[in-house]
Amino acid sequence: MQETMLVFDENKIVQHLKHYLPAQATLKDFVHHNSLHAFQDKEFFEGIFSAKKIFGFRVTFSLNEYRKLYQQGRIKEAIIDWVIIRSKGIEQVKKYKQKMLFGQYDESYNPRLGSIRKYWKQVYKIDLDNRVQPLLFRLLASYLDQGIALWHFPFEDKGLLNAVRMVENNSYASFFKSKRAIKLLHKKDLTMQELLDILVGRTELYEQYLMDQQYTHKGWSGIVGVIEEDKNTIFYKKEITLRDLIKLELLLEIDALDSALGNKWPSLGTHITETIPDYFSSVPFGEQEEILQLWQEAFEWDYYDEVLSAVRHLSKTKRLEKNKPSFQAMFCVDDRECSLRRHIELIDPNYETLGAPGFFGAAIYFQPYGGKFYDKNCPVALTPKHLIKEIEIKQHRKKEHIHSSHTHATFRGLLSTFSLGMFSGIRMLRDLFNPKMQPDISDAFAHMDLHGKLLIECADPDAKENGLQVGYTVQEMADIVYSLLKGIGLTDTFSDVVYVVAHGSSSANNPHHGAHDCGACSGRPGAVNARVFAYMANHSMVRKLLAGKGILVPEQTQFIAAMHDTASDEVNYYDRSTLSDQNYKKHLKQVEIMEKALDLNAKERARRFASINVKQDIKKIRKKIKQRSVSYFEPRPELGHGTNALCYVGGRQKMKGLFLDRRAFLQSYDYTTDPKGEVLAQVLAPLPAVCGGINLEYYFSRMDIEKMGAGTKLPHNVTGLIGVTNSSDGDLRTGLPLQMIENHDPVRLLMMVEHTPEVIMNIITSSSAMYDWFDKGWIHLVVVAPDGELYHFDKGTFVPYNPFTEVKETDDILKVIEEGIEMETNHILDATKENISVHVHKD
Amino acid sequence: MNISILTLFIGPLLALIIGFTFNNKQEKPIYLVTMISAIINYVILAILLFNYLFNGQEPQLLKGPVLYHAENTEFSLNLLLDGYSLVYAFVATFLIGVIIRFSRYYLHREKGYKRFFNNLKFFYIGILTILLAGNIETLFIGWEIIGVTSFFLIGFYRERYLPVKNALKIVSLYRVADVALLLAIWLAHHYYGHSINFLEISNTESIPHYADSVGFAIAIPLMFLIAAMVKSAQFPFSSWLPRAMEGPTTSSAIFYGSLSVHIGVFILIRTAPFWEDIAFFPWLVGAIGLTTTLLASSIARVQSTIKTQIAYSSIAQIGIMFIEVALGLYWLAILHFIGNSLLRSYQLLVSPSVLSYKIHDQFFHFHPPGIQKTEHFLDKIKLSIYVLSIKEFNLDRWMFNYLWNPLKKLGSAFSFLSVKVMLWIAIPIYFFGLWMVYNKELLPEWGTKYLPEGYTIICLVIILKAFVERKSILVSWGLLLLNQLYQTIVFGLNDNFEFTQVHIYLSGIIISSVIGFWVIVRLRKKGKDTSLNQFHGYVYEHPRLAFVFVVACLGLAGFPITPTFIGEDVLLGHIHENQMPLLILMAINLILDGLVIFRMYSRLFLGQHKSGYHEFAYRSS
Repeated sequence: MQETMLVFDENKIVQHLKHYLPAQATLKDFVHHNSLHAFQDKEFFEGIFSAKKIFGFRVTFSLNEYRKLYQQGRIKEAIIDWVIIRSKGIEQVKKYKQKMLFGQYDESYNPRLGSIRKYWKQVYKIDLDNRVQPLLFRLLASYLDQGIALWHFPFEDKGLLNAVRMVENNSYASFFKSKRAIKLLHKKDLTMQELLDILVGRTELYEQYLMDQQYTHKGWSGIVGVIEEDKNTIFYKKEITLRDLIKLELLLEIDALDSALGNKWPSLGTHITETIPDYFSSVPFGEQEEILQLWQEAFEWDYYDEVLSAVRHLSKTKRLEKNKPSFQAMFCVDDRECSLRRHIELIDPNYETLGAPGFFGAAIYFQPYGGKFYDKNCPVALTPKHLIKEIEIKQHRKKEHIHSSHTHATFRGLLSTFSLGMFSGIRMLRDLFNPKMQPDISDAFAHMDLHGKLLIECADPDAKENGLQVGYTVQEMADIVYSLLKGIGLTDTFSDVVYVVAHGSSSANNPHHGAHDCGACSGRPGAVNARVFAYMANHSMVRKLLAGKGILVPEQTQFIAAMHDTASDEVNYYDRSTLSDQNYKKHLKQVEIMEKALDLNAKERARRFASINVKQDIKKIRKKIKQRSVSYFEPRPELGHGTNALCYVGGRQKMKGLFLDRRAFLQSYDYTTDPKGEVLAQVLAPLPAVCGGINLEYYFSRMDIEKMGAGTKLPHNVTGLIGVTNSSDGDLRTGLPLQMIENHDPVRLLMMVEHTPEVIMNIITSSSAMYDWFDKGWIHLVVVAPDGELYHFDKGTFVPYNPFTEVKETDDILKVIEEGIEMETNHILDATKENISVHVHKD
Repeated sequence: MNISILTLFIGPLLALIIGFTFNNKQEKPIYLVTMISAIINYVILAILLFNYLFNGQEPQLLKGPVLYHAENTEFSLNLLLDGYSLVYAFVATFLIGVIIRFSRYYLHREKGYKRFFNNLKFFYIGILTILLAGNIETLFIGWEIIGVTSFFLIGFYRERYLPVKNALKIVSLYRVADVALLLAIWLAHHYYGHSINFLEISNTESIPHYADSVGFAIAIPLMFLIAAMVKSAQFPFSSWLPRAMEGPTTSSAIFYGSLSVHIGVFILIRTAPFWEDIAFFPWLVGAIGLTTTLLASSIARVQSTIKTQIAYSSIAQIGIMFIEVALGLYWLAILHFIGNSLLRSYQLLVSPSVLSYKIHDQFFHFHPPGIQKTEHFLDKIKLSIYVLSIKEFNLDRWMFNYLWNPLKKLGSAFSFLSVKVMLWIAIPIYFFGLWMVYNKELLPEWGTKYLPEGYTIICLVIILKAFVERKSILVSWGLLLLNQLYQTIVFGLNDNFEFTQVHIYLSGIIISSVIGFWVIVRLRKKGKDTSLNQFHGYVYEHPRLAFVFVVACLGLAGFPITPTFIGEDVLLGHIHENQMPLLILMAINLILDGLVIFRMYSRLFLGQHKSGYHEFAYRSS
């Protein structure tokens, strides 16, 4: 029994509310995170089914959908048996299988949320949301607006409620209609309690009432909570608290009720006779949940087994010892680099590719030339202490008059219609038939000037700018370079040119463009970090310090930064002029390899785009891919992390030739150099949050595209430059849009790590945060032991795992890709067919 | 040569019919058929334009078939091609082409791909009909098509609450414009004694008119003006436009950014001969334009969402076009229309870009705005305007309070009368009425004078009951049918007329209502709740039934797919020029039955389909 609240504790309730509201920042800072982070203290299925019961989210497929997946062979019978045996025991197989396939369950929609506020309509016959929300959203949007409105909400530094008060005080018109509401508004130290006393009247119902109220517009409440916590998520600073929002909403409710019913109406509590459940009391785990869990596990393990089978096959096979690499390139762990790396290796088997989180150890704030703010370029969880400044640029960004606010003024608007208007017709044709990069298209390569200069080395550690050190000291550089190289196991054989390849993404007409950029750089292109890292690694003093620690980088070896645009499939290089003549020649050779690999990568991506014929000339495909990234009419410039499912931590040499269909995050790590796992602990630390965050956001957006995802992006309306809404008075939409998740198979992340089970057990138990990810089942963990055996982490121990799916082999992987099926619709039954099964490429 | 105008309709009509045969996955054929029809039309238009320019720029009138003819009423299809319609049609066809191409990729894999393209074609046919209409009756056909396709396009995301709510809101307002236009037809019939085409009225003096009254001469253009104000979102009807931005960006861009919303300007130019010579009328048009421009500009300045901002800026420019029209600068208004519609369409199409573009711009050029002062009187005025602009000068509430609430209240006033009791009273009275229609010679003189009004009042009570009915859709549908039957009695009592006219009218009504009954009964048999208390969203599970029902609804509402449409017009013609009260009652009746029908369809088939086995959006999304 949870204790019922008899005394109203404003603080506690607001904190509680915030915990359950979406934590998505403004779209310019898009970072993937677990949509159900509030339930992450529970075991996965317990957590998601609680969310289902409380908020009405859809957290799995429906029984019918799972059954059809089984019928079409996507879920194999053997897997179903295995799943049942594992959790229920072998004697239960028949019973549970019967239930899974034929059991009838009640699938009605009956969440706890809304239990109280529904009485407004039932008893008072008033649609309170309809009366309050349009004005409330308008006020909020105007208050938080960053630059759409020509006329801003005044007094934005005073706090929402105060600003409204000041406007009311100094105007002859009012937002309110009822005298009582106005009087209450102007009351000093107005408390939530007194407003709730009027509206609800029964203390024990207040929390549920507020939950009902705030969750009906979880997007707006969520963003208010986020801005309250982190003021830097908006440039034009606004003082706002969730508390103010709640009070304002309560006032508007009183106002609406007064104007509809006069100022004497009984509070809501007097009409509620049924017992209202505590929304967060534990949720009974019924048979239906049990069955759905089994189905979801079967759906996941059907795929995992295929992967693990191939992984075991490869790790048991002796592979060729590696030669001196022709080139080396570090990529981001990102699943979208998985295919590019594979193609590079296919073209030049001596080309070694490595994976590390794409900020390359440089946790920085970045200030572009002339910028008035800083961009955070590192994982969200870190707080940078260093600032990197761009001090010289070659190109300035152009203006785009079509977005000019003049067009919305009266007289200048009139002139615009006669000037810009007439041009618009021509521009429409240009955009349709010859799409090109325009100033209003987000260009990954515009984040930092291609030929600009950065200030990387710190001149004076004591001279801070806004509390940040400008640039790195030599010692700091050496530490960063050392720990990254050590982590990815790049400690002895170096090629002459080593590439540090960041990634970003260009897209047109896409408010969610941040979701396509580098997640390890807080949703921004990572070129700055790559350049900073390359500079550090090239620094002669740093090399000396590295040598002292045992990493000998040959003198002729040079690091070069590059960035891969994952939408247009282009790679650009930075600071090429620093290359020695000899290395420059080699670089030219590398460019050829890279271009070929990009062609193939474009082709592989193209198979999932219905508008591109994969069988045509590869250069044509490449051109079309490039055009997608600059086409206003293209809602899918790329498919982002769609289909992500795996994370492999280990050496590349062993797993070369493993075809994972762009579904794996690849982190390099060499267990042979790290017997005790000290380095591994460092390497693993950021991965659950980064990869797991991405994976779970895709999972939940796919399962419930409407309540946890943002729905289709076609009707989205940019609001206040902070987010998107549907319609003129809709809620902010959080999560991912349909166009990003439609090809996604919602399976949890399977993390595979090379080392012994003992070492890994030590590492994960050393940090409870990390342990919970695996123990509570939000990520699956499998150890790939040095002898090639697999161990699955299950209920706190490592259990040997013997995959039974047959390994598929091919000697022409390109053909396999070309022949991949294209989905007919984006329903899961069709969409899942588009994935190509795991193959091993024979070399 | 005149006949070539007609060819403009062949392509889109064929494309529409072929479009229905595809399934949603056949994106390429759907696109191609639509695109080809647009290109063909573009070529035809080019030829027509060439012809027009080099043949003395003479307007061409094509007299189409007479669909109905009686002594003083005639319903014929006439087409008129002149400079204005040519230019507008050109812009419309160009934009349609652009949108078709844009949407081909933009709507890829959308659940309603086919639905979107079909609506697009239907809409295009509607707009062409308006542009090329040679008389009011033909224009009215296009008008109705646009109204209905707007309803479908605004409510395109029919499983969410807000689009459906807004679609309903807007179509209700459109109904006001529809009735205004119907009244204009009635007035014109009585004023001129026959159906007149736009070409003849360019010389109003020469046409003889029967009812020689100034009231008529003013009332006709006034009705046109109201219709134009509604469609072009002019004061006080402005607030619907931002709420129409619910569909995919491409549909908002073309309909609410450009073509649909400028129709009012075109109507005013087209009907200019009716009002040019009335001294105060241009002033009225100008004043409405000016008021709209001032209010809409002010509201546009405070909009914090991009699409509503574009909507209000567009309204402000259309206000200026009204002023231009009032000044007689028709070609300037047309030019202004071209610029504004291209600009706003394009702005809407690229509106999602605004986020990254402006954030980037802000990153380098941000200046915090100055602090708002409060001391001076003018500061307070400024803040007051700010508050009012945020509240859209109460325009949205105004519509709610003054248009729908009174009707609701009126309906509730009859709550003492239970449906059962009412039926017990109304049905016998109906048969009595029917008997009287056939035995009119037995009626005393006061009977012919007052009975029609009496029956109209009962008629109104019935439809009001249907309007406030919440429990059973079956009852509501039945009341609707009864209402229509009563209408025929009204006309029957009012005038000597051939019963064929009632047949024309009733044929559509009866078939439609039977189909409607069938759909409702089927849903009930499946155990579905068919109350009207909330949106049920059954289209999710029963898309076919929904389609059948919508066709039935359109038939019942007098949409030009059944002969009822002609009947409606013809019957209205039987109200005499000295029967204003009757006319007004009938007009309210017509507005109401449109509302009831659209609401019924929406409540039953649209909105959230709440179920645990699939996802649906929260109400506020």
